[in-house]
Amino acid sequence: MTDTLFLFALVAQTPIAVRAGEVEAVVRLGEIVPVPLVPAHVRGLAALRSRVLTVIDMEAQISGAAPRPAPSMLAIVADIAGHSYGFCVDALSDICHAEMGVQPMRGRIDPAWAPFVGGLVERAGRSHLLVTLADFVATPAGTPLAA
Amino acid sequence: MDEILAEFIAETLETLELLSGEVVAWERDPTDKARLDAFFRFFHTVKGSCGFLNLPRFERLAHAAEEVLAAIRRSERTAEPATITAVLAVMDRIGALARSAGEGEAPGIPEADDDALLDALQLASDGFEIFTPRNTPPAPIREATPQPDRPVEAPPAIAADDPHRRAGAPRSIRLPLSLIDQLMNGISDMVLARNDLARRMRDQGVDPELEGSFERLSANVADLRDMISKTRMQRVDRLYAAIPRMVRDLGRELDKKVMLDLDGGDVEMDREMIEMVLDPLTHIVRNALDHGIETPAERRAVGKDEAGRLRLVARQSGNQIMIEVSDDGRGINRAALVEKAIAADLCTAADAALMSEADKLALIFHPGLSTAERVTAVSGRGVGMDVVRANIEQIGGVITVDSLPGRGTTITLRVPLTLTIIPGLIVRAGAHYFAMPRGNVVELLHDNSAMVAIEQVGGARIATIRGERHSLVALEDVLGLPIAIDPPGPRTLMVVRSSGGRPYVLGVQSVESNEELVIRPASPAVTAAGVFAGMTLPDNGQPMLLLDAAGIAEVAGLPLRDAEGQSALRAAAPEAEKPAETIQALMYRERDGRQRLIPLSVVDRVEDLPAARLVRTGDGAFVRIEDRLLPALNAGDDPGATIKSLRLHDGHSQICYLIDDVLDIVAAPARLDVALRGPRIAGLVMVGDAQYEMIDPFAIFAEVARAAAPGGVRPIRCHIADAEDPWMRNILAPLLVQAGHDVSIGETGHVAPDVILRGDTRGGSADAPVLVLSADAADASAIYRYDRVGLMAAIARVAGSAA
Repeated sequence: MTDTLFLFALVAQTPIAVRAGEVEAVVRLGEIVPVPLVPAHVRGLAALRSRVLTVIDMEAQISGAAPRPAPSMLAIVADIAGHSYGFCVDALSDICHAEMGVQPMRGRIDPAWAPFVGGLVERAGRSHLLVTLADFVATPAGTPLAA
Repeated sequence: MDEILAEFIAETLETLELLSGEVVAWERDPTDKARLDAFFRFFHTVKGSCGFLNLPRFERLAHAAEEVLAAIRRSERTAEPATITAVLAVMDRIGALARSAGEGEAPGIPEADDDALLDALQLASDGFEIFTPRNTPPAPIREATPQPDRPVEAPPAIAADDPHRRAGAPRSIRLPLSLIDQLMNGISDMVLARNDLARRMRDQGVDPELEGSFERLSANVADLRDMISKTRMQRVDRLYAAIPRMVRDLGRELDKKVMLDLDGGDVEMDREMIEMVLDPLTHIVRNALDHGIETPAERRAVGKDEAGRLRLVARQSGNQIMIEVSDDGRGINRAALVEKAIAADLCTAADAALMSEADKLALIFHPGLSTAERVTAVSGRGVGMDVVRANIEQIGGVITVDSLPGRGTTITLRVPLTLTIIPGLIVRAGAHYFAMPRGNVVELLHDNSAMVAIEQVGGARIATIRGERHSLVALEDVLGLPIAIDPPGPRTLMVVRSSGGRPYVLGVQSVESNEELVIRPASPAVTAAGVFAGMTLPDNGQPMLLLDAAGIAEVAGLPLRDAEGQSALRAAAPEAEKPAETIQALMYRERDGRQRLIPLSVVDRVEDLPAARLVRTGDGAFVRIEDRLLPALNAGDDPGATIKSLRLHDGHSQICYLIDDVLDIVAAPARLDVALRGPRIAGLVMVGDAQYEMIDPFAIFAEVARAAAPGGVRPIRCHIADAEDPWMRNILAPLLVQAGHDVSIGETGHVAPDVILRGDTRGGSADAPVLVLSADAADASAIYRYDRVGLMAAIARVAGSAA
C-alpha cells in the first residue's frame, strides 16, 4: 500500500511525515539565488540540472520568522500545480511504511503548526506530524487547512 | 467560394483534430452528455455548411450521423459500441474526404463506399453487430485516415497499406506536449554540460583539434535547441481559424452585419498558450457581437455604417503577446453596470460615486454582472467576463477593457510567452543578476552620457533624454535591494518600453551580457511579487529571474498612462468623480510674449531655424525645411537671426508654428475649464494656479488648409515648358517633386499649372505666371537657377499671388 508509505524528516526540530506520493526526490541543493520582494518563506531559486526549483523554507513558513542559515541544503523536491519546488528540511530520517496509517491529532497543537498538520503518523514509536507540501506553497494568510 | 470552401475544410479538420482527443473517452463512456453534444454539433455544423457549399457527399454522411446522434440524445437509441464505431467511421470518412478536397484532388475513396458506412449506421441501430472481422468496411476507413489526427487511437489500422492516400497525407505527427517539454529539458541539460565542459577545456588547455570537434558539437547543440524550441510555437492564425465562421453565423443569428478584420496572424506564440486563450477569446468575440455591435437599424439611427466593425489584432510586445478585440458598437453602459453592482450589493451608491470610469468598467469582470438587458442565447448566461478574466489570469495574463459610450469597446488580452526562447539582457542590481527581455529595451546609455539629464523633483526622478522626459527608477529601489555605493563604472540606464504605457527609464548597476534565454513560468509564490515574468537558467547554470517591464512600472508606481488618473488620489478627493484626465501640453511663449499651451501630441519637434529659411508671401509664410516648404504661422515682421519653431504634425501635413521660446512641458487637464471661440484658441485651462490659453490644433490646421485650398498653394503645380532642356528635366524637376510640388513637362498638361518655369526662351503665357530661370547669376531679370532658396520662394510667391 503506497498510502502508508511516508517520508519522515525533521523541520524546525519537529518530526514530520509527508506522503511519499507527493515526493519526487530528495536532493542536496546547490547555491540558492535569493528572490527579492517575496515572502520570507520563499528562499529563492535553485537549479536542479536543467530545472529551476522554487525553494520554500518550511520553518519560516511555520514560524513566520526570517529564515536562518540552514545547516544543510537538503530539500524535498515536489511538483505542485505544474511548478517544481524544493522544500528545505533539517534532516531526513527515513522513508518507510507506517502500518497504522494516519491517525487523528491528539493534544493541543501550537497554533503556528495548526494550519499545516493533518494528523499523526507513527514511526519507531514516535509521533510525526503529517503535512501536505502544497500547503507550504500558499501565502501564510490564505493557507487552507491541511487535508 | 474557394475561400469559403478552404475555410470549411480547415475548420472541419480542425474540429476533427480536437474531437479526436475525445473519441477514446466517449467510447469508454458513451452516456457522457457533453461529448455526445460535441459530436452532434460537429455533424450538425458540417451538414449545415455542406448544404451551403453544395457538397452532397459530405452532407449525406453528416446527416445520417446526425440523425443517429439525435436519436441517442432523445434517448430513443442507446449508444452501444457498434453505433459509436459506425459514427466514428463516418467521422473518419469526412476527415479523409475533407483532406482530399483540401489538396484539390479527387477523393481516393469511391462514393459507393459511403453506402457501407451509412448501412452500418442503420444496421447498428437495429442492434446488429456489424463490425465483425469478416465485414471489411471499418478497415479501409481507418486506413484512409492519415496519421496526424489519430495515431494514438488507431495505430494498427493505419499500418495497413494504402499507398495512394499515404503519399498525399501531410507529413506531420501529433506528440504529447510533455514529450516536447522533456526534450527541451534534455537539450537544456546538454547545453549546461557543454558549457561546463567548455570551461574545463579552457582551464586545462587542450589541443586545437579537440577544440575543433568540440566547437562542432557545440554548434550542433545550439541548432538542436533552436529547433526544439520552434516545435512549441504556432502562428496565431490557428487562434483565428474559427473566428470568421463564428462571426458569420452569429451575425446571421442576431441579424447584425459585421465586418471582421483579423491582423497579426503571423505572430507566433506557444501552442499551449494558444489553447488557453482560445476559449476566452471566443467568448469576448461573442460578447462583442451580441452586446457590443448594434443592429443595422440602430446603427443607421446613430449615423454609423450599417455593418459593425470587429477587429482582432495580435502582436508581440516584448515578453508578452497582446491580443486586442475592438468593436465600434455601443460601448459598455457604465451607469447600468453600476446600477447592477449596487443592486447585487457589490458596492454602495456612495462607493459608486467615488469610482473612476476605469473602476466602473472593471465591474464587468464581477461574477454575475452582465449589462445586457435580457439574456440571449449567444452570451450572457451568467458565465461571463469573470470566467474570461479568471482564465486569462490563470496563465499569468492580464485583461483590460476600455470603452467609449456609443463608440465601441476594446478588450485587450496580454498573455506571457512561456517556455519560449527570447533574447535577453543580463543586468546587475547590487549582488543580484536579472534578465530583461531585449524586446522591451529601446535604448541603453550610461548615466554620465551627455545625452541624458537626471533631475529629482519632489521625490520624482526624471531622466531627460534628447528633450524627452522619462520616469526614472532604479531597479534596486523597486526590488528593495541596496544600491552599490562604489560601483566600478557608471550606472546603465535602460529605456524600457512596456505594454502598459509610455516608455520609462530603468537604472541598473550594469548590463552584463546578452543571451538567448529559455523562459519558463515562475511559480506563483514568485510571480506574486508582480515584477517577475518568469525564470530562466542561463548558460552559467545559475537560475535567474526574468523582469516584467510593465510590472516594474506598476510596482514603482510610475505614471505611464497620460490619460489615466490614480484611483487612490481620486478616492481622497471625492469631488473629482470624473477622472482628472490630463494631457501633456507644451507651455511656450508666443512671439507677442503671451504664454500659451499646445497639446504635446501634435508637436513633432522644436527646432531653431535660420531666419533665411523663412519666406513671406502675399498672404502667408513658408519655412523651407529639407527642400520642402511648410506653411508657417506667426511669421511676424522681425524674425531676428534665428526663429524658434514648433513643427506641428497632424499625421499627414506639417506646419511650422513660430514662437518665441519653449517654457515647459506640463500636465494640463484634458477638459477645458472655459471653452472659447477665438481663432486658434480652444479655451482656458488651469495649470498650477494660473490660467492659460490652450491652442486648438484643429483650428490651426484648418486655418492652413483654408489658406491652401482655394489657391492650391500646396502642392503647387509646376509646369516645365522646355522639355528638351536637360537641366530643367534632370535637375529642376526632381527637385520640385522632392519639395512636394506636382511637375508636368513639355506640352501643358491636362491641369492648368500654377506656375510655368522657363529657361532662356522668353515667351508669355495666358495660363499662368511664368518664372524665368537663368544660368547667369548676374541676370537681374531672371532667377539664378542655383539659388535654391530664392527659386523655391519665388515659386511659392508666384503661385500664391496667382490664387
